[in-house]
Amino acid sequence: MLLESVLTGAVRGGTSILYATLGEVVTERSGLINLGTEGSMLCGALAAYVVGIETGSPWLGVLAGMAAGAALAMVFAALVIARGANQLATGLVVTFLGLGLTSLFGQSYVGQGANGFAAVPVPGLAELPFVGPILFDHDPLTYLSFAAVPALSWLLLRTRPGLALRAAGERPEVLEAFGTSPQRVRYLAVLAGGSLAGLGGAQLSTAFALNWSENMTVGRGFVAVALVIFAAWDPRKAMGGAYLFAGAIALQLQLQARGVEVSRYLLEAVPYLTVLIVLAVLSRRRVHAGPEALTKVFDG
Amino acid sequence: MTTSEDVLATAEVDGRTRRRPPGLPLDPVRARGLVRWVVAVTTAVAIYVVFLLVQGADPATVVSAMVRAAAGSPGNIADTLVRATPLLLAALAVAVPARAGLFNIGGEGQLVIGAVAAAGAARVLGGAPTAVALPTMALVGAVAGLAWALLAGALKVFTATNEAISTLLLNYIATLLLTWLVFGPWKDPASLGQAYSPRLEEGQQLPDLLSGSLHVGVLMAVAVAVVVWVVLRTTSWGFQLRVVGGNPEAARRAGLRVSRLQVGALAVGGLIAGLGGMIEVAGVEERLRPEMMVGFGFVGFLASWLARHDPLKAILAAVVLGAIAIGGNGLKVAAGLSGSAVNILMAVLLLAVLGWARPSTAGGR
Repeated sequence: MLLESVLTGAVRGGTSILYATLGEVVTERSGLINLGTEGSMLCGALAAYVVGIETGSPWLGVLAGMAAGAALAMVFAALVIARGANQLATGLVVTFLGLGLTSLFGQSYVGQGANGFAAVPVPGLAELPFVGPILFDHDPLTYLSFAAVPALSWLLLRTRPGLALRAAGERPEVLEAFGTSPQRVRYLAVLAGGSLAGLGGAQLSTAFALNWSENMTVGRGFVAVALVIFAAWDPRKAMGGAYLFAGAIALQLQLQARGVEVSRYLLEAVPYLTVLIVLAVLSRRRVHAGPEALTKVFDG
Repeated sequence: MTTSEDVLATAEVDGRTRRRPPGLPLDPVRARGLVRWVVAVTTAVAIYVVFLLVQGADPATVVSAMVRAAAGSPGNIADTLVRATPLLLAALAVAVPARAGLFNIGGEGQLVIGAVAAAGAARVLGGAPTAVALPTMALVGAVAGLAWALLAGALKVFTATNEAISTLLLNYIATLLLTWLVFGPWKDPASLGQAYSPRLEEGQQLPDLLSGSLHVGVLMAVAVAVVVWVVLRTTSWGFQLRVVGGNPEAARRAGLRVSRLQVGALAVGGLIAGLGGMIEVAGVEERLRPEMMVGFGFVGFLASWLARHDPLKAILAAVVLGAIAIGGNGLKVAAGLSGSAVNILMAVLLLAVLGWARPSTAGGR
């Protein structure tokens, strides 16, 4: 019973982080690390929420969320790629910008009822014991993420654009020699990463929380950046990472609901602690798995 | 943007090649710096005003309310300086590790842990005399900040965990630890909805300067900035940090103990932030509250980058960002907008400054 609730919560709550992690995988494979993911998630969450309410269509909201996430990521790309600004600092400042923008424009929407996605049980499959609720009783964006993982994996590893993306992160000079501009590839990668983070934010506000509140991501975007290392820049492993973090949140909520005598706030720290510990265990092994261009950001 | 860049480009050429012409009040290099500042501030304010217009707020009312809140009266200026204090210490906590090429994004957590430890020390000390209580609290707060930063340092050295990511995650853990204490074991029985810890004893509060909100901690922070500046400039430790930050591989080959220097720089950063937490709890809040320092660490990070990690310039940067943060109160009062909206102004200011890096360093640190 507990296991079932925790796993269901892991999938439901993990979807937003999964999208953000996939986005960051794309960005980092091109050789850049974007801490603005947190900001892109926030912008995506607000834009999707607002457009969903104003137009009555949650799907238009999702598109708006992706566009907002991409727009913020564009600020990062322009500064880092065109102006040579420091990546980590720029990413953090961009997140700060996203935080400011969403608190300015989101204020009148705090606590308003959402017009979001409801769970759509898959006929037949949702009634299966155990697996049914965990996998087949979710919102459409979660089902979409099940497809996004293999699709992205295929795109990265088996197609020409994927090859160009990886080349930009590993050997940009080779890409250049073949007549493709690594800078252009990086722009596109950052844009794709930002829109995926925006999609994650959209899922968070319009399918998971069905609400908007200031700084509602509370570090999920930063966690996504950490999970990319955990996932060894592999979309399939990103799934495990996202569900691990969200599973820790779900476990914590379940323990609270069952009246465990531990403070709620200490339990809330468990997901962050989990990611930190997992990262500590894996980092040494992952150091050389990352794209070559990232090593100069990470080493030193 | 093109015009301002053209101006900057010409100023740069002039600054590099020509000596200071007689009769000019500022030499060209300084003038260039000044022009950059003016351009950055103007751009940031302009973009901010556009966003305010989009939101339907009256920019004139908002901006004047912000200016009044930040500098309208001696009391307001004192508020700005008091806010700048933890920001300055958080900025120094970024600047020292940055010398060694490290990213300490954990200023927030280190501030919080410093405040928690200082308040904890105050609980143990009880009615001890001020001369014992305050130095002990400062020491305990600083050491706790150091220990918290050392966690990230140890993770880096022993497990190769990137310090930017570990310090970020540690922020959330530190804040939840503070929230737990304030809602749990350290809760003031008198606090109802808004939880807080009991007020510090009279002798555990930092003495006021002049009158009003200004406290001794403001001077302490400036003193720390000067000490850091002197240490980084004149000691061999400061020099070694710069070598490590410039090229860790070369430093390693030159026989420097790179890991030890890096961990040391992080630890010193944590020490300074921990002291900042103590100053905030003993000088401003006089008790612990869960939201007492939300965002301070990040604004400190911005201040350090604004000052390009120069400890003395960080004083100015912290005052500027402190003024914007306090201006946020005016924004709330005048336009009913979220105070966090001033983050836009800070972020755009920083983006303008970051965008000036030479393209030759593209993609690198």
